[in-house]
Amino acid sequence: MNVQAYILSGIVESYVLGLASAEEQAEFEHMASRHPEVLQARLAFEIALEQQSKTHAILPPESLREEIRLRLFPAGQSGAITTQPATIKDLGDSHSAPVRRMNFWKYVAAASVVLLIGSVIWNITMITTTRDLGNEIKNRDLRITAIKQELDTTIKNLALVTNRPDLRMAVMKGLEIAPTAFATVYWDTTSHDVYLAAQNLPVPASDKQYQLWAIFKGKPVDLGVFDLKQDKLLIRAKNAQGAEAFAITLEKKGGSSQPKGAMYVMGKL
Amino acid sequence: MNPGITYSEPELVALLRQRTDQSFSYLYENYSAALLGVVGAIVSDQETARDVLQEVFVNIWRRIESYDPAKGRLFTWMLNIARNAAIDKIRSRGYQDSLKNKAIPDNNDSINGELGVMPRVDDVGLRKVLSTLKEDHRVLIELSYFQGYTQDEISRQLDIPLGTVKTRIRSALTHLRTLIK
Repeated sequence: MNVQAYILSGIVESYVLGLASAEEQAEFEHMASRHPEVLQARLAFEIALEQQSKTHAILPPESLREEIRLRLFPAGQSGAITTQPATIKDLGDSHSAPVRRMNFWKYVAAASVVLLIGSVIWNITMITTTRDLGNEIKNRDLRITAIKQELDTTIKNLALVTNRPDLRMAVMKGLEIAPTAFATVYWDTTSHDVYLAAQNLPVPASDKQYQLWAIFKGKPVDLGVFDLKQDKLLIRAKNAQGAEAFAITLEKKGGSSQPKGAMYVMGKL
Repeated sequence: MNPGITYSEPELVALLRQRTDQSFSYLYENYSAALLGVVGAIVSDQETARDVLQEVFVNIWRRIESYDPAKGRLFTWMLNIARNAAIDKIRSRGYQDSLKNKAIPDNNDSINGELGVMPRVDDVGLRKVLSTLKEDHRVLIELSYFQGYTQDEISRQLDIPLGTVKTRIRSALTHLRTLIK
């Protein structure tokens, strides 16, 4: 079988998207184990699919995380606490059986000792539980604050992209110098805003900065320099409408008027 | 929370198998939106889509032992769980009862018009890519990928020979690949 033709037959996508029949799957797995290029094609499509899915993500409402967490970690810790009062109650009930008077008082004494012990244990349990709960609440509060901050930034960033029907995007793929690098340019066809999401560029030396270019009729136009910051997903760039392509080069700090440094990523529209 | 930490897929799989709270948080932060996108492309109602997303997480949690890295990446595995859960939902009785027409749509117009099944059609995820396909190819991807019909069912319902269905789906898929890269 011609391996290249096999790869291009649509079987890779069929397999990855779960549309292949059982025989096709078996055949594909066999081919992938024998031909590295088949495996390579599968991985490439899978990665593209993941990136594509992340681009078209829908942010779930904040409450959903806790709902799901409760389903995955059902609360089972309260059981030990609730069993104790039940035991005491059972004992208390048993003295309603017909007994002689002398025995009755003995019973009361015994029952009160049991009640006392029970109550001591109960108190100790409660103190420990309260302390644990207190710590847990503190930890949760800290975590919630951290999550909120993270969410706020993410929502802000996302809102820039998702609330705009006129937004278009172009993916810039890594060139030879950094094959795994990629970055995405978003621009609004009505407001003319341009945003850059540089997700995967190598960290530059301290005297260098990345610079974004738009290509008009083969000529590069400076859209500004930017720094890579983890907490900032989207970087606002200068306006550029009607560009044919975008590219990022590594320039001396502060940028250049014309691209001089190496080109890291490039994407045509 | 450690917003800075990024796990490789094998690391994440190992953590998920221990079912730690931390692994859940990481999973949720990194994949919930992408997976809701996958579900949302199939299930139109937002409320229902969120219910399905819960099922997806429960399934990932329960079935992580059966994930086999030799067969595909973790995200692909999760994506297929999400797609299957979404299709199960739109085929469930409760969901079907809310739809008037249960028959498989026989032309493209009725697919778009099928309220509830086809939501805000062209703007979500793969669907957006789909909208650029040729008409006859598009219907087949719609039915097989988004509605989970087998090629056999499609061939019978649309009265197209099985071989043709197969070839068209394959050819539409190769086209998809060039579009999403």
